Amino acid sequence: MSGELLFRSIRELADMIQGGQVSPVEVTESFLSRLDELGGSYNSVVTLTGERALETAREVESEIAAGAGGGLLRGIPWGAKDLLATSGGIPTSWGAEPFRDQTFDRDATVVTRLEAAGAPLAAKVAMIELAGGMGYSQPNASLTGPPRNPWNRDRWTGGSSSGSGATVAAGLVPFAIGSETWGSILSPSNNCGLSGLRPTYGRVSRAGAMALCWTLDKLGPLCLTADDCGIVLDAIAGPDPADPTTYPHEFNYDSTLDSATQGRKFRLGVPKDITEGAQDDVKANFEAALDAMSDVVDVEEVSLPDLPYVPIVRTILMVEAASAFEDFIGEGGPQKLTAPEDHYGPYARTAILATDYVRALRLRGVMAKQVDEVMSSYDAFAAPTSLTTATPLGEHFRRNTSGPGDIVGAIGNGCGLPSQSVPSGFDSDGMPTGIQFMGRAYDENICIALGRAYQERTGWHRQHPADLLGTE
Amino acid sequence: MEGDNKTSLEQELLFAVVKEKYGSLLSDEQLDEVRHSVLGLSGFTQALRSVPLTNDVEPFSTFRPYRGG
Repeated sequence: MSGELLFRSIRELADMIQGGQVSPVEVTESFLSRLDELGGSYNSVVTLTGERALETAREVESEIAAGAGGGLLRGIPWGAKDLLATSGGIPTSWGAEPFRDQTFDRDATVVTRLEAAGAPLAAKVAMIELAGGMGYSQPNASLTGPPRNPWNRDRWTGGSSSGSGATVAAGLVPFAIGSETWGSILSPSNNCGLSGLRPTYGRVSRAGAMALCWTLDKLGPLCLTADDCGIVLDAIAGPDPADPTTYPHEFNYDSTLDSATQGRKFRLGVPKDITEGAQDDVKANFEAALDAMSDVVDVEEVSLPDLPYVPIVRTILMVEAASAFEDFIGEGGPQKLTAPEDHYGPYARTAILATDYVRALRLRGVMAKQVDEVMSSYDAFAAPTSLTTATPLGEHFRRNTSGPGDIVGAIGNGCGLPSQSVPSGFDSDGMPTGIQFMGRAYDENICIALGRAYQERTGWHRQHPADLLGTE
Repeated sequence: MEGDNKTSLEQELLFAVVKEKYGSLLSDEQLDEVRHSVLGLSGFTQALRSVPLTNDVEPFSTFRPYRGG
Protein backbone atom coordinates (compact mmCIF):
# COMPACT_ATOMS: atom_id res chain seq x y z
CA MET A 1 0.00 0.00 0.00
CA SER A 2 1.12 3.51 -0.72
CA GLY A 3 1.98 5.24 2.55
CA GLU A 4 -0.16 8.11 1.38
CA LEU A 5 -3.30 6.00 1.85
CA LEU A 6 -2.56 4.45 5.24
CA PHE A 7 -4.58 5.82 8.16
CA ARG A 8 -6.20 8.50 6.02
CA SER A 9 -9.71 9.52 7.02
CA ILE A 10 -12.60 8.96 4.62
CA ARG A 11 -12.72 12.68 3.93
CA GLU A 12 -9.00 12.76 3.09
CA LEU A 13 -9.23 9.69 0.85
CA ALA A 14 -12.28 11.14 -0.89
CA ASP A 15 -10.34 14.33 -1.60
CA MET A 16 -7.51 12.27 -3.08
CA ILE A 17 -9.90 10.26 -5.26
CA GLN A 18 -11.86 13.26 -6.43
CA GLY A 19 -8.64 15.19 -7.04
CA GLY A 20 -7.40 12.39 -9.28
CA GLN A 21 -4.38 11.59 -7.08
CA VAL A 22 -5.49 7.99 -6.77
CA SER A 23 -8.23 5.92 -8.38
CA PRO A 24 -10.97 3.91 -6.63
CA VAL A 25 -9.50 0.69 -8.03
CA GLU A 26 -6.03 1.57 -6.72
CA VAL A 27 -7.42 2.39 -3.28
CA THR A 28 -9.44 -0.82 -3.18
CA GLU A 29 -6.56 -3.00 -4.35
CA SER A 30 -4.29 -1.44 -1.72
CA PHE A 31 -6.65 -2.19 1.14
CA LEU A 32 -7.47 -5.68 -0.17
CA SER A 33 -3.77 -6.45 -0.23
CA ARG A 34 -3.37 -5.18 3.32
CA LEU A 35 -6.39 -7.18 4.53
CA ASP A 36 -4.97 -10.30 2.95
CA GLU A 37 -1.51 -9.74 4.39
CA LEU A 38 -2.35 -8.60 7.92
CA GLY A 39 -5.95 -9.63 8.64
CA GLY A 40 -4.84 -12.98 10.07
CA SER A 41 -2.46 -11.33 12.52
CA TYR A 42 -5.43 -9.94 14.40
CA ASN A 43 -7.94 -12.77 13.77
CA SER A 44 -10.00 -9.99 12.30
CA VAL A 45 -11.18 -11.21 8.90
CA VAL A 46 -13.67 -13.98 8.14
CA THR A 47 -14.03 -13.64 4.36
CA LEU A 48 -12.29 -11.41 1.86
CA THR A 49 -14.73 -10.12 -0.74
CA GLY A 50 -12.15 -8.86 -3.23
CA GLU A 51 -13.97 -9.69 -6.44
CA ARG A 52 -17.11 -7.93 -5.30
CA ALA A 53 -15.12 -4.94 -4.02
CA LEU A 54 -13.26 -4.51 -7.28
CA GLU A 55 -16.51 -4.70 -9.24
CA THR A 56 -17.89 -1.77 -7.25
CA ALA A 57 -14.59 0.11 -7.52
CA ARG A 58 -14.51 -0.30 -11.31
CA GLU A 59 -18.11 0.94 -11.62
CA VAL A 60 -17.28 3.98 -9.49
CA GLU A 61 -14.15 4.63 -11.51
CA SER A 62 -16.16 4.62 -14.74
CA GLU A 63 -18.73 6.98 -13.24
CA ILE A 64 -16.05 9.41 -12.11
CA ALA A 65 -14.38 9.24 -15.52
CA ALA A 66 -17.74 10.05 -17.11
CA GLY A 67 -18.01 13.10 -14.86
CA ALA A 68 -20.87 11.79 -12.74
CA GLY A 69 -21.34 13.42 -9.34
CA GLY A 70 -21.45 11.43 -6.15
CA GLY A 71 -20.78 11.35 -2.45
CA LEU A 72 -17.65 11.04 -0.35
CA LEU A 73 -17.80 7.24 -0.02
CA ARG A 74 -17.14 6.56 -3.70
CA GLY A 75 -14.20 4.18 -3.86
CA ILE A 76 -13.72 3.93 -0.07
CA PRO A 77 -13.47 0.22 0.88
CA TRP A 78 -15.05 -1.02 4.07
CA GLY A 79 -15.58 -4.06 6.29
CA ALA A 80 -18.92 -5.52 7.34
CA LYS A 81 -19.38 -7.23 10.68
CA ASP A 82 -20.14 -10.80 9.73
CA LEU A 83 -23.73 -10.59 10.89
CA LEU A 84 -24.77 -8.51 7.87
CA ALA A 85 -26.26 -10.72 5.18
CA THR A 86 -24.50 -10.79 1.83
CA SER A 87 -25.72 -12.44 -1.34
CA GLY A 88 -23.67 -14.12 -4.04
CA GLY A 89 -22.53 -17.08 -1.97
CA ILE A 90 -20.48 -14.98 0.46
CA PRO A 91 -20.90 -16.67 3.87
CA THR A 92 -22.40 -14.83 6.83
CA SER A 93 -21.14 -16.76 9.84
CA TRP A 94 -22.45 -14.67 12.71
CA GLY A 95 -18.98 -15.35 14.16
CA ALA A 96 -20.09 -18.82 15.20
CA GLU A 97 -18.80 -22.24 14.17
CA PRO A 98 -22.28 -23.77 13.71
CA PHE A 99 -23.07 -21.04 11.15
CA ARG A 100 -19.67 -20.98 9.42
CA ASP A 101 -21.05 -21.82 5.96
CA GLN A 102 -24.39 -20.00 6.24
CA THR A 103 -25.39 -18.04 3.14
CA PHE A 104 -28.25 -15.72 2.24
CA ASP A 105 -29.79 -14.79 -1.09
CA ARG A 106 -30.10 -11.10 -0.24
CA ASP A 107 -27.98 -8.25 1.07
CA ALA A 108 -28.61 -6.43 4.31
CA THR A 109 -30.01 -2.94 3.73
CA VAL A 110 -26.81 -1.40 5.10
CA VAL A 111 -24.73 -3.32 2.55
CA THR A 112 -27.03 -2.22 -0.27
CA ARG A 113 -26.89 1.41 0.81
CA LEU A 114 -23.11 1.55 1.15
CA GLU A 115 -22.59 -0.10 -2.23
CA ALA A 116 -25.11 2.30 -3.75
CA ALA A 117 -22.96 5.10 -2.33
CA GLY A 118 -20.00 3.60 -4.19
CA ALA A 119 -18.21 2.03 -1.21
CA PRO A 120 -16.65 -1.34 -2.11
CA LEU A 121 -17.28 -4.15 0.39
CA ALA A 122 -13.76 -5.48 0.99
CA ALA A 123 -14.31 -8.03 3.77
CA LYS A 124 -16.69 -9.68 6.15
CA VAL A 125 -14.95 -9.04 9.43
CA ALA A 126 -14.72 -11.05 12.62
CA MET A 127 -17.07 -10.82 15.57
CA ILE A 128 -17.78 -12.50 18.86
CA GLU A 129 -20.01 -15.51 18.25
CA LEU A 130 -23.69 -14.55 18.01
CA ALA A 131 -22.73 -10.99 18.95
CA GLY A 132 -21.91 -12.09 22.48
CA GLY A 133 -25.52 -12.97 23.12
CA MET A 134 -24.80 -16.30 24.79
CA GLY A 135 -23.05 -14.62 27.72
CA TYR A 136 -19.33 -14.88 26.86
CA SER A 137 -16.96 -13.49 29.48
CA GLN A 138 -13.51 -13.78 27.82
CA PRO A 139 -12.22 -12.97 24.33
CA ASN A 140 -11.73 -16.49 22.93
CA ALA A 141 -15.31 -16.61 21.75
CA SER A 142 -15.23 -16.50 17.98
CA LEU A 143 -14.77 -18.97 15.15
CA THR A 144 -11.82 -16.90 13.96
CA GLY A 145 -9.99 -17.07 17.29
CA PRO A 146 -9.48 -14.46 19.99
CA PRO A 147 -9.59 -10.97 18.44
CA ARG A 148 -6.16 -9.33 18.79
CA ASN A 149 -5.79 -5.61 19.41
CA PRO A 150 -3.52 -3.72 16.97
CA TRP A 151 -2.13 -1.69 19.89
CA ASN A 152 -0.98 -4.88 21.62
CA ARG A 153 -1.75 -8.29 20.16
CA ASP A 154 -1.92 -9.85 23.62
CA ARG A 155 -4.85 -7.59 24.51
CA TRP A 156 -8.30 -7.96 23.09
CA THR A 157 -10.22 -5.60 20.89
CA GLY A 158 -13.43 -5.38 22.82
CA GLY A 159 -16.56 -6.87 21.39
CA SER A 160 -18.68 -7.96 19.92
CA SER A 161 -17.69 -5.90 16.83
CA SER A 162 -14.12 -7.08 17.33
CA GLY A 163 -13.06 -7.34 13.68
CA SER A 164 -14.67 -3.99 12.92
CA GLY A 165 -12.40 -2.48 15.58
CA ALA A 166 -9.22 -4.37 14.68
CA THR A 167 -9.41 -3.85 10.92
CA VAL A 168 -9.87 -0.09 11.17
CA ALA A 169 -7.28 0.33 13.94
CA ALA A 170 -4.74 -1.68 11.93
CA GLY A 171 -5.39 0.38 8.81
CA LEU A 172 -6.82 -2.59 6.90
CA VAL A 173 -9.97 -0.66 5.90
CA PRO A 174 -10.84 3.02 6.32
CA PHE A 175 -14.09 2.15 8.12
CA ALA A 176 -16.25 -0.75 9.19
CA ILE A 177 -19.82 -1.36 10.26
CA GLY A 178 -20.49 -2.86 13.66
CA SER A 179 -23.57 -3.58 15.68
CA GLU A 180 -24.44 -2.79 19.27
CA THR A 181 -26.98 -4.39 21.55
CA TRP A 182 -25.10 -3.21 24.62
CA GLY A 183 -21.54 -1.97 24.18
CA SER A 184 -20.59 -3.73 20.97
CA ILE A 185 -19.69 -0.60 18.98
CA LEU A 186 -18.40 1.53 21.84
CA SER A 187 -16.28 -1.19 23.48
CA PRO A 188 -14.09 -1.91 20.41
CA SER A 189 -13.95 1.82 19.66
CA ASN A 190 -12.59 2.36 23.16
CA ASN A 191 -10.17 -0.56 23.18
CA CYS A 192 -8.82 0.06 19.67
CA GLY A 193 -8.54 3.86 19.89
CA LEU A 194 -11.23 4.55 17.28
CA SER A 195 -14.15 6.87 16.71
CA GLY A 196 -17.36 4.87 16.90
CA LEU A 197 -20.96 5.96 16.60
CA ARG A 198 -23.91 4.13 18.10
CA PRO A 199 -26.93 5.65 16.35
CA THR A 200 -30.36 6.09 17.87
CA TYR A 201 -32.36 2.84 17.83
CA GLY A 202 -34.26 2.76 14.53
CA ARG A 203 -32.03 5.30 12.78
CA VAL A 204 -30.37 2.56 10.71
CA SER A 205 -32.28 -0.37 9.23
CA ARG A 206 -31.57 -3.74 10.83
CA ALA A 207 -32.98 -5.62 7.82
CA GLY A 208 -30.63 -8.44 6.93
CA ALA A 209 -28.68 -8.20 10.18
CA MET A 210 -28.65 -11.09 12.66
CA ALA A 211 -31.22 -10.42 15.34
CA LEU A 212 -29.97 -10.73 18.89
CA CYS A 213 -32.47 -8.46 20.66
CA TRP A 214 -35.14 -6.88 18.49
CA THR A 215 -35.63 -3.84 20.70
CA LEU A 216 -31.94 -3.20 21.43
CA ASP A 217 -29.95 -3.94 18.24
CA LYS A 218 -28.37 -0.97 16.38
CA LEU A 219 -25.92 -0.77 13.46
CA GLY A 220 -23.26 1.92 13.23
CA PRO A 221 -19.80 2.85 11.96
CA LEU A 222 -16.30 2.54 13.44
CA CYS A 223 -13.93 5.04 11.81
CA LEU A 224 -10.78 7.07 12.38
CA THR A 225 -12.66 10.31 13.06
CA ALA A 226 -16.04 11.48 14.33
CA ASP A 227 -16.47 13.36 11.05
CA ASP A 228 -16.11 10.05 9.18
CA CYS A 229 -18.83 8.56 11.38
CA GLY A 230 -21.15 11.33 10.22
CA ILE A 231 -20.30 10.67 6.57
CA VAL A 232 -21.06 6.95 6.93
CA LEU A 233 -24.23 7.49 8.96
CA ASP A 234 -25.52 9.83 6.27
CA ALA A 235 -25.26 6.96 3.77
CA ILE A 236 -26.78 4.17 5.87
CA ALA A 237 -29.51 5.95 7.87
CA GLY A 238 -33.12 6.43 6.92
CA PRO A 239 -36.46 4.67 6.77
CA ASP A 240 -36.67 1.18 5.32
CA PRO A 241 -39.92 -0.72 4.66
CA ALA A 242 -38.01 -3.94 5.37
CA ASP A 243 -37.50 -2.82 8.99
CA PRO A 244 -40.69 -1.39 10.46
CA THR A 245 -38.81 -0.06 13.49
CA THR A 246 -36.87 2.47 11.40
CA TYR A 247 -37.45 6.13 12.17
CA PRO A 248 -39.56 7.63 9.37
CA HIS A 249 -37.38 10.72 8.80
CA GLU A 250 -34.15 10.98 6.81
CA PHE A 251 -30.86 11.84 8.52
CA ASN A 252 -28.67 14.57 7.04
CA TYR A 253 -25.18 14.88 8.42
CA ASP A 254 -24.36 18.47 9.44
CA SER A 255 -20.57 18.77 9.34
CA THR A 256 -20.73 22.49 10.13
CA LEU A 257 -22.45 22.28 13.52
CA ASP A 258 -20.27 23.69 16.29
CA SER A 259 -20.53 26.10 19.20
CA ALA A 260 -19.98 29.05 16.84
CA THR A 261 -22.77 28.12 14.42
CA GLN A 262 -25.21 27.56 17.27
CA GLY A 263 -24.08 30.75 18.98
CA ARG A 264 -23.34 29.24 22.38
CA LYS A 265 -21.29 26.63 24.16
CA PHE A 266 -22.50 23.06 24.27
CA ARG A 267 -24.02 22.06 27.60
CA LEU A 268 -22.60 18.78 28.87
CA GLY A 269 -24.01 16.80 31.77
CA VAL A 270 -21.69 14.39 33.56
CA PRO A 271 -23.56 11.78 35.62
CA LYS A 272 -22.56 11.91 39.28
CA ASP A 273 -19.93 9.33 40.32
CA ILE A 274 -19.64 8.10 36.73
CA THR A 275 -15.92 7.39 37.11
CA GLU A 276 -16.46 5.28 40.24
CA GLY A 277 -14.53 2.04 39.74
CA ALA A 278 -12.63 3.38 36.72
CA GLN A 279 -8.90 2.83 36.19
CA ASP A 280 -6.90 5.84 37.36
CA ASP A 281 -5.71 6.61 33.80
CA VAL A 282 -9.25 6.40 32.43
CA LYS A 283 -10.45 8.86 35.06
CA ALA A 284 -7.51 11.24 34.49
CA ASN A 285 -7.93 11.18 30.70
CA PHE A 286 -11.65 11.81 31.01
CA GLU A 287 -11.09 14.87 33.18
CA ALA A 288 -8.36 16.11 30.83
CA ALA A 289 -10.70 15.65 27.86
CA LEU A 290 -13.34 17.87 29.43
CA ASP A 291 -10.68 20.47 30.19
CA ALA A 292 -9.48 20.39 26.59
CA MET A 293 -12.97 21.37 25.43
CA SER A 294 -13.58 24.09 28.00
CA ASP A 295 -13.74 26.83 25.35
CA VAL A 296 -16.75 25.15 23.71
CA VAL A 297 -18.52 23.27 26.51
CA ASP A 298 -20.02 24.05 29.87
CA VAL A 299 -19.97 21.04 32.17
CA GLU A 300 -22.36 20.27 35.02
CA GLU A 301 -22.65 17.27 37.29
CA VAL A 302 -25.99 15.52 36.93
CA SER A 303 -27.93 13.36 39.36
CA LEU A 304 -29.76 10.55 37.60
CA PRO A 305 -33.19 9.28 38.64
CA ASP A 306 -32.96 6.34 41.03
CA LEU A 307 -33.93 3.38 38.85
CA PRO A 308 -32.56 -0.16 38.40
CA TYR A 309 -31.07 0.62 34.97
CA VAL A 310 -28.85 -2.43 34.64
CA PRO A 311 -31.50 -4.97 35.74
CA ILE A 312 -34.07 -3.41 33.38
CA VAL A 313 -31.88 -3.63 30.30
CA ARG A 314 -30.17 -6.92 31.17
CA THR A 315 -33.56 -8.55 31.65
CA ILE A 316 -34.78 -7.36 28.25
CA LEU A 317 -31.51 -8.43 26.63
CA MET A 318 -31.44 -11.88 28.20
CA VAL A 319 -35.05 -12.73 27.38
CA GLU A 320 -34.97 -11.44 23.80
CA ALA A 321 -31.67 -13.23 23.10
CA ALA A 322 -33.03 -16.46 24.58
CA SER A 323 -36.09 -16.14 22.36
CA ALA A 324 -34.19 -15.15 19.20
CA PHE A 325 -32.11 -18.33 19.53
CA GLU A 326 -34.74 -20.53 21.21
CA ASP A 327 -34.52 -23.33 18.64
CA PHE A 328 -30.73 -23.25 18.57
CA ILE A 329 -30.63 -23.40 22.37
CA GLY A 330 -33.25 -26.18 22.52
CA GLU A 331 -31.28 -28.32 20.08
CA GLY A 332 -28.07 -28.04 22.12
CA GLY A 333 -26.45 -25.76 19.54
CA PRO A 334 -24.52 -23.73 22.13
CA GLN A 335 -22.33 -26.79 22.83
CA LYS A 336 -20.76 -26.24 19.41
CA LEU A 337 -19.73 -22.66 20.15
CA THR A 338 -16.12 -21.69 20.90
CA ALA A 339 -16.31 -20.17 24.40
CA PRO A 340 -16.90 -22.78 27.13
CA GLU A 341 -19.17 -20.36 29.01
CA ASP A 342 -21.36 -20.00 25.91
CA HIS A 343 -22.08 -23.75 26.04
CA TYR A 344 -24.37 -23.26 29.04
CA GLY A 345 -24.75 -19.44 29.23
CA PRO A 346 -28.16 -19.03 27.61
CA TYR A 347 -30.03 -21.68 29.60
CA ALA A 348 -30.46 -19.74 32.85
CA ARG A 349 -32.17 -16.96 30.93
CA THR A 350 -35.05 -19.23 30.07
CA ALA A 351 -35.91 -19.10 33.78
CA ILE A 352 -36.91 -15.42 33.70
CA LEU A 353 -40.65 -15.13 34.23
CA ALA A 354 -42.77 -13.43 31.57
CA THR A 355 -44.15 -11.01 34.15
CA ASP A 356 -40.60 -9.89 35.01
CA TYR A 357 -39.82 -9.30 31.32
CA VAL A 358 -42.99 -7.24 30.87
CA ARG A 359 -42.20 -5.34 34.07
CA ALA A 360 -38.79 -4.51 32.58
CA LEU A 361 -40.56 -3.21 29.44
CA ARG A 362 -42.86 -1.08 31.59
CA LEU A 363 -39.90 0.26 33.58
CA ARG A 364 -38.12 0.98 30.31
CA GLY A 365 -40.77 3.60 29.54
CA VAL A 366 -40.38 5.14 32.99
CA MET A 367 -36.62 5.20 32.46
CA ALA A 368 -36.85 6.70 28.96
CA LYS A 369 -39.12 9.53 30.08
CA GLN A 370 -37.28 10.37 33.31
CA VAL A 371 -33.86 10.28 31.66
CA ASP A 372 -35.03 12.42 28.74
CA GLU A 373 -36.43 14.99 31.16
CA VAL A 374 -32.99 15.27 32.80
CA MET A 375 -31.22 15.32 29.43
CA SER A 376 -33.46 18.07 28.09
CA SER A 377 -31.36 20.59 30.04
CA TYR A 378 -28.21 19.49 28.20
CA ASP A 379 -26.96 18.91 24.68
CA ALA A 380 -25.44 15.60 25.73
CA PHE A 381 -24.04 13.56 28.58
CA ALA A 382 -20.29 12.89 28.69
CA ALA A 383 -18.71 9.82 30.27
CA PRO A 384 -15.72 7.53 29.85
CA THR A 385 -16.56 5.11 27.05
CA SER A 386 -15.33 2.28 29.23
CA LEU A 387 -14.07 2.21 32.81
CA THR A 388 -11.11 0.05 31.76
CA THR A 389 -8.73 -0.22 28.85
CA ALA A 390 -8.34 -3.42 26.84
CA THR A 391 -7.74 -6.42 29.07
CA PRO A 392 -5.33 -9.32 28.34
CA LEU A 393 -6.62 -12.03 26.00
CA GLY A 394 -6.65 -14.65 28.74
CA GLU A 395 -8.54 -12.58 31.27
CA HIS A 396 -12.23 -12.61 32.13
CA PHE A 397 -13.25 -9.03 31.40
CA ARG A 398 -16.45 -9.06 33.39
CA ARG A 399 -14.38 -9.33 36.59
CA ASN A 400 -12.44 -6.16 35.96
CA THR A 401 -14.75 -3.45 37.16
CA SER A 402 -16.15 -2.52 40.51
CA GLY A 403 -18.84 0.05 41.21
CA PRO A 404 -22.44 0.17 40.06
CA GLY A 405 -21.92 -1.26 36.57
CA ASP A 406 -22.26 0.28 33.15
CA ILE A 407 -25.02 2.76 33.99
CA VAL A 408 -24.46 4.95 30.92
CA GLY A 409 -24.43 1.87 28.70
CA ALA A 410 -27.65 0.63 30.28
CA ILE A 411 -29.35 4.00 29.82
CA GLY A 412 -28.03 4.54 26.31
CA ASN A 413 -29.02 1.14 25.03
CA GLY A 414 -32.17 0.78 27.08
CA CYS A 415 -33.45 4.17 25.92
CA GLY A 416 -32.02 3.72 22.40
CA LEU A 417 -29.89 6.88 22.56
CA PRO A 418 -27.04 7.84 20.21
CA SER A 419 -23.46 8.08 21.42
CA GLN A 420 -20.23 9.15 19.77
CA SER A 421 -17.04 7.71 21.25
CA VAL A 422 -13.63 9.18 20.46
CA PRO A 423 -10.15 8.27 21.73
CA SER A 424 -9.03 10.35 24.72
CA GLY A 425 -5.45 9.21 25.38
CA PHE A 426 -3.64 6.14 26.67
CA ASP A 427 -3.06 4.31 29.91
CA SER A 428 0.38 3.60 31.33
CA ASP A 429 0.57 0.40 29.23
CA GLY A 430 -0.05 2.33 26.03
CA MET A 431 -3.63 1.14 25.59
CA PRO A 432 -6.26 3.65 24.38
CA THR A 433 -8.99 5.23 26.49
CA GLY A 434 -12.16 6.85 25.21
CA ILE A 435 -14.73 9.53 25.98
CA GLN A 436 -18.33 9.29 24.81
CA PHE A 437 -20.91 11.97 24.11
CA MET A 438 -24.41 10.55 24.48
CA GLY A 439 -27.28 12.62 23.17
CA ARG A 440 -31.05 12.65 23.30
CA ALA A 441 -32.86 10.47 20.77
CA TYR A 442 -32.12 11.47 17.15
CA ASP A 443 -29.43 13.99 18.20
CA GLU A 444 -26.60 12.25 16.32
CA ASN A 445 -25.48 15.54 14.79
CA ILE A 446 -24.84 16.97 18.26
CA CYS A 447 -22.95 13.86 19.43
CA ILE A 448 -20.79 13.91 16.29
CA ALA A 449 -20.22 17.67 16.58
CA LEU A 450 -18.92 17.17 20.13
CA GLY A 451 -16.59 14.40 18.93
CA ARG A 452 -15.40 16.63 16.10
CA ALA A 453 -14.86 19.56 18.47
CA TYR A 454 -12.75 17.35 20.73
CA GLN A 455 -10.71 16.04 17.79
CA GLU A 456 -10.10 19.59 16.53
CA ARG A 457 -8.44 20.27 19.90
CA THR A 458 -6.52 17.03 20.41
CA GLY A 459 -4.46 14.60 18.36
CA TRP A 460 -5.26 11.21 19.90
CA HIS A 461 -7.21 10.10 16.81
CA ARG A 462 -4.12 10.72 14.68
CA GLN A 463 -2.00 8.29 16.70
CA HIS A 464 -1.68 4.75 15.40
CA PRO A 465 0.19 1.61 16.50
CA ALA A 466 3.88 2.32 15.93
CA ASP A 467 4.65 -1.07 14.39
CA LEU A 468 2.00 -0.47 11.73
CA LEU A 469 3.13 2.93 10.58
CA GLY A 470 5.92 1.35 8.52
CA THR A 471 3.77 -1.40 7.00
CA GLU A 472 2.80 -0.23 3.58
CA MET B 1 -35.45 -13.24 56.07
CA GLU B 2 -38.75 -14.74 54.97
CA GLY B 3 -38.43 -12.78 51.71
CA ASP B 4 -34.95 -14.20 51.14
CA ASN B 5 -36.22 -17.73 51.70
CA LYS B 6 -39.10 -17.15 49.28
CA THR B 7 -36.70 -15.81 46.66
CA SER B 8 -34.37 -18.72 47.11
CA LEU B 9 -37.23 -21.20 46.80
CA GLU B 10 -38.52 -19.43 43.68
CA GLN B 11 -35.09 -19.54 42.03
CA GLU B 12 -34.62 -23.22 42.94
CA LEU B 13 -38.02 -24.01 41.42
CA LEU B 14 -37.14 -22.05 38.30
CA PHE B 15 -33.85 -23.93 38.06
CA ALA B 16 -35.81 -27.19 38.34
CA VAL B 17 -37.83 -26.12 35.27
CA VAL B 18 -34.65 -25.36 33.32
CA LYS B 19 -33.15 -28.68 34.39
CA GLU B 20 -36.27 -30.56 33.35
CA LYS B 21 -36.36 -28.83 29.98
CA TYR B 22 -32.68 -28.76 29.05
CA GLY B 23 -30.87 -31.00 31.56
CA SER B 24 -30.20 -33.70 28.98
CA LEU B 25 -28.17 -31.21 26.91
CA LEU B 26 -25.84 -30.21 29.75
CA SER B 27 -23.16 -31.89 31.83
CA ASP B 28 -23.33 -31.91 35.62
CA GLU B 29 -20.69 -29.16 35.76
CA GLN B 30 -22.62 -27.05 33.28
CA LEU B 31 -25.84 -27.58 35.22
CA ASP B 32 -24.07 -26.32 38.33
CA GLU B 33 -23.12 -23.16 36.43
CA VAL B 34 -26.71 -22.76 35.21
CA ARG B 35 -28.03 -23.17 38.77
CA HIS B 36 -25.55 -20.56 39.97
CA SER B 37 -26.74 -18.18 37.21
CA VAL B 38 -30.43 -18.78 37.94
CA LEU B 39 -29.85 -18.03 41.62
CA GLY B 40 -27.96 -14.90 40.54
CA LEU B 41 -30.94 -13.66 38.57
CA SER B 42 -32.84 -13.05 41.79
CA GLY B 43 -30.93 -9.79 42.28
CA PHE B 44 -32.28 -8.48 38.98
CA THR B 45 -35.83 -9.64 39.53
CA GLN B 46 -35.93 -8.24 43.05
CA ALA B 47 -34.65 -4.90 41.74
CA LEU B 48 -37.37 -4.83 39.08
CA ARG B 49 -40.13 -5.85 41.47
CA SER B 50 -39.10 -3.27 44.06
CA VAL B 51 -40.16 -0.35 41.84
CA PRO B 52 -43.87 0.39 42.28
CA LEU B 53 -45.82 0.66 39.02
CA THR B 54 -49.38 1.89 38.72
CA ASN B 55 -51.92 0.20 36.46
CA ASP B 56 -51.58 2.81 33.74
CA VAL B 57 -47.85 2.22 33.12
CA GLU B 58 -47.74 0.26 29.87
CA PRO B 59 -44.88 -1.69 28.31
CA PHE B 60 -42.71 0.71 26.30
CA SER B 61 -43.49 -0.88 22.97
CA THR B 62 -46.20 -0.18 20.47
CA PHE B 63 -48.68 -2.72 19.15
CA ARG B 64 -50.28 -1.81 15.84
CA PRO B 65 -53.03 -3.93 14.30
CA TYR B 66 -51.99 -5.18 10.89
CA ARG B 67 -54.09 -4.98 7.76
CA GLY B 68 -52.48 -6.15 4.55
CA GLY B 69 -53.15 -4.59 1.13
